[in-house]
Amino acid sequence: MRSNLFKALAVAVVSASCFGIISTAALAEKSGGILKFYHRGTPPSGSIHEEATSSTLVPYMSVFNNLVMFDQAKPVNSAETIVPDLAKSWAWGGDKTKVTFTLRKGVKFHDGKPFTAKDVVCTWNLILGNSKAKLRKNPRKSWYKNLASVEASGDYEVTFNLKRRQPAFLMLLASGYSPVYPCHVPPKKMRTKPIGTGPFKFVSLKQNEHVKFTKNKDYWKKGRPLLDGHEWTIIKSRSTRVLGFIAGKFDMSFAGDISIPIYKDLIKQAPHAICEKHATNVSTNLIVNQFKPPFDNGKIRKAMVLTIDRASFNKILGHGEFIMSGAMLPPPHGVWGMPPEVLKNVAGYHPDVAANRAEARKIMKSLGYGPDNRLKVKVATRNIAIYRDPAVLLIDHLKEIFIDGELDTVETSNWHAKVARKDYQVGLNLTGIGVDDPDAMFYENYACGSQRNYTGYCKEEMMKLFEKQSMMDNGPERMKLVYEIDKKLQEDAARPIIANNVRYNCFQPYVKGFKTQTNSLYNGWRFEDIYLDK
Amino acid sequence: MSSIENSEEVGRNKTKNRSKWYRIKRLCQTYPLGAIGSFIVFLVVFAAVFADFVAPYDPTTTSAKMSLSPPGSDMLFGGDMMGRDVLSRIIHGARISLAVGIGSTLLGGVIGTIIGLMCGYWMGLFDLLIQRIIDMMQALPLLVMALVMAASLGPSLENTIIAISIPLVPQVARVIRSNVLSLRELPFVEAARAVGMSDLRIVFRHILPNTLAPLIVLGTAQLGSAILTEASLSFLGLGVPEPYPSWGRMLSESAAEYVRVAPWLVIFPGIAISAAVFGANLMGDAVRDFLDPRNQG
Amino acid sequence: MLYSYLIQRFLLMFLTLLGMSIIIFVLLRLVPGNIVDIMFDSAGFVDPDEKKTIEKELGLDLPIYEQYYHWIVGLISFDLGFSYVSEMPAVDEIGPRIPITAKLAALSLFFSILFGLPLGVISAVKQNTALDYALRVVSLSGLSLPSFWLALLILMACVSYTGAIPIYTETPETLWDELLLYLLPSAAVGFRASALIMRLTRSSMLEVMRQDYIRTAMSKGASDNAINYKHALRNAVLPVTTIVGIEAAFLIGGLIITETVFNIPGVAHFLVEAILMRDYPIVQSLVMFIAIIVVVINFLTDLAYAALDPRIKYSD
Repeated sequence: MRSNLFKALAVAVVSASCFGIISTAALAEKSGGILKFYHRGTPPSGSIHEEATSSTLVPYMSVFNNLVMFDQAKPVNSAETIVPDLAKSWAWGGDKTKVTFTLRKGVKFHDGKPFTAKDVVCTWNLILGNSKAKLRKNPRKSWYKNLASVEASGDYEVTFNLKRRQPAFLMLLASGYSPVYPCHVPPKKMRTKPIGTGPFKFVSLKQNEHVKFTKNKDYWKKGRPLLDGHEWTIIKSRSTRVLGFIAGKFDMSFAGDISIPIYKDLIKQAPHAICEKHATNVSTNLIVNQFKPPFDNGKIRKAMVLTIDRASFNKILGHGEFIMSGAMLPPPHGVWGMPPEVLKNVAGYHPDVAANRAEARKIMKSLGYGPDNRLKVKVATRNIAIYRDPAVLLIDHLKEIFIDGELDTVETSNWHAKVARKDYQVGLNLTGIGVDDPDAMFYENYACGSQRNYTGYCKEEMMKLFEKQSMMDNGPERMKLVYEIDKKLQEDAARPIIANNVRYNCFQPYVKGFKTQTNSLYNGWRFEDIYLDK
Repeated sequence: MSSIENSEEVGRNKTKNRSKWYRIKRLCQTYPLGAIGSFIVFLVVFAAVFADFVAPYDPTTTSAKMSLSPPGSDMLFGGDMMGRDVLSRIIHGARISLAVGIGSTLLGGVIGTIIGLMCGYWMGLFDLLIQRIIDMMQALPLLVMALVMAASLGPSLENTIIAISIPLVPQVARVIRSNVLSLRELPFVEAARAVGMSDLRIVFRHILPNTLAPLIVLGTAQLGSAILTEASLSFLGLGVPEPYPSWGRMLSESAAEYVRVAPWLVIFPGIAISAAVFGANLMGDAVRDFLDPRNQG
Repeated sequence: MLYSYLIQRFLLMFLTLLGMSIIIFVLLRLVPGNIVDIMFDSAGFVDPDEKKTIEKELGLDLPIYEQYYHWIVGLISFDLGFSYVSEMPAVDEIGPRIPITAKLAALSLFFSILFGLPLGVISAVKQNTALDYALRVVSLSGLSLPSFWLALLILMACVSYTGAIPIYTETPETLWDELLLYLLPSAAVGFRASALIMRLTRSSMLEVMRQDYIRTAMSKGASDNAINYKHALRNAVLPVTTIVGIEAAFLIGGLIITETVFNIPGVAHFLVEAILMRDYPIVQSLVMFIAIIVVVINFLTDLAYAALDPRIKYSD
């Protein structure tokens, strides 16, 4: 009797506490408050379609909506995590050569004008270069090489017609880099005072000072956003801004800003901070200009790949936490990368550096180089620490095979043009990819004629393989083909990947409703579900 | 007892030598700060010249093991992010600082002297024009001028030297000009002219030697500020590029980033810059006092 | 006499500024890589056709003298063009930043005079004593410490003792907050400036003390202190006024570094950013602005000197 009573009481207490937890969880979703971020440098503009940097994308993504997007609560982006946004639903047709979206009704831009299918048509015509208004910069034009046309039928239906089959097309549209622009606002205004349909409205940007956004009270998603706004203080010195975070002046760090050595110090100073480790899908890689002798000789490029001590890069820059990979990021962080058992069979990834270097020296000697006849090269890199540091290491590793490198630091402003012009011999580069999909990676960085293919690597057989995988549906077969392509790219030394970077994203414990995405730095910043539990 | 005898003996044998040492000793007593400064400058010069022998490590060799290693027996001043030896980088960095310091002083001094001589000797419209240009150049603070120059020329060792030398030109030109103006009326110059000496010979035989003192004063004063300006430019990312280990660059972004974990990255290069500039300034002060006619006798 | 001197000085100032504007403009056209490259570069994308469009839009395709003409005409009417980077009017970018730097400069100048002047006098009066040597070493070290290093050390000390650092986040609300925010950076700048003022005060004091009338006063039996503070200081202050004037204009050099390290959004910091971004309209207008300030202050100190010192002749 007594024990029964006890049991009942226990059940009651347990269920009550469970209930309590559930109800507090439901209640805890508080609204109000301004989320304070720090930013590493003034965004070049507010127009996402014209920029290729997280400096713009991360703060401004919440001004807009896409047709579809990646589920903001899931850390790994993939075809399975794509959810509706401005499009309520979509349907493939014509054996995946066209996709039709049914659009949401009653959505308004921040200036009060209604959103219709016309805006979608305008946005992609702008990117394709078919409209009268022109973008100053158009960095993702190469993504849409396969897009033939965009057609509206009525105000709430729009169809994307493709030139050939491309099942992964939806991945591109789900990226933070693919917002829908209003038809009635000219590109110049989008750069300075962007207008979208998103949960936050742009308020002001002051160079080197701040960027501010405020809640869109008429947001189409009921009860969202929860924040009253988000504000970004621009601080160029990393030590200063990290100290600011430690001192509690900021609620969240900037995307990809907390490197592993800095994290280790930060967590000692601010043990309460929540730091999520994430692969950013940004790789550090060696670029060798195949048009500049003597580097037109494949042998010398192979020797350079062999002398790279990936473990030493990893130890110094990543405290051993960087990911060894080919071009694609491997699971669990990414989807398409070669797993370790495949990777170890790729030439140049063998962990015995001494043996690799002996082989490399043999190659160099066969080409006539030696201790008395050293090859002098300029190693170009961008003049910021995350480029400079690995470049210094690279020069040291090249020294082992009779190559004397001198660092040629190029201002951020000139870097991309310099390598795009192929005005360099050897370079150290960082490559970030917007969407974790082979289509985006291969066509942007390894395809003949692509402007971001800095090494000039171009092979007809590879182009055929790129297209073949692009036309395949996701599944083990596409995966197998992608491994095969990636292995070939590494062995050809097309753009040898030194390491895939790992960073931390840190926020204060009262920041809730946010999940750091791991396989792209560019897709997880909508902020509509974030709230402050103070 | 015997020691006195001994020293007397030595003294008798090397009278000349002793008087030289004696003079140096006297000089050090009169200008104790200057002596300290000269010693520091000597150290910097020594480090720059013999860097390859003095530095314990190659300043560019990286090491995963020594990354951010604290000062200790392996690395006296610790290792940087790349595991490079901070001490060796400071020693090799002396080369850059000195190259920029001496290079810019010489370049600015020579150009300034030529302009000053021409202005003072010929006067007239040319002088007026140059004087106005000099006015303009002096209307910009040194660092602003150097920044604009560095930005327009691009970062490299040579360009840094040029950028820093330019603000020196008007100072030198002005001093030389006023000296020439007073000298040209003096009897010995007029005599030389009467004898039929060419202008160029007069300048080199009579005028230049007499303007040497103010030139040296300006030059030594410039040395410190040139080192400091180079460090500032490098700190702002507009100075001498890698792989040269420049003191200013050692203190810029990547060092500041690890300042909390590795304070030695900030402390030692900063001390190097401060000490070198301090030494150069002390020496400059002493040289000025020494050459100032009012302080003679 | 004074009137014609004024006019002459004024014309000279105008000429200097005109020359400055040409020098600045030409120098900045030597810069490798222009803004059009930069705009493409950040996207890693280069299309020659689109490049031309932008060049035209920004007026970079015009001959250089025409670009100069447009700039000067704009300068006179306070239309400085548009920032290439933000596409905002340059006036709106520069204007709000001036008060921040001005406050910092004023505070630094205050510090430098507060310490520099009295210490300089003491050092001169106690010439060649231990105190003099100590003060001279301190002042020289003030000139020798790189201001960015000093600023870094101050930040380091702040963090280890208080766990926090002064970060300029928002326009501070109370006067006290504002003062706190400006205190450390202006101390860092003021240290160097006070060292300079101290040295110059010392040498000009010594100069004056050597002069005959002081010796006369001394022979008349005036007490040491009376001489030092009444006669010598009054005469020594004259050149020091000039120096303070020049120093005020040249503080900008120290402010460039300090604003960068402390992340204070003033004009000096903005200048560095604009130079790195090759934002011509901002750089040329800012450098011109600095030149104007320096030249005007020089002009004013000249006038003050002329007004204060009866011995000056109103001719060149």
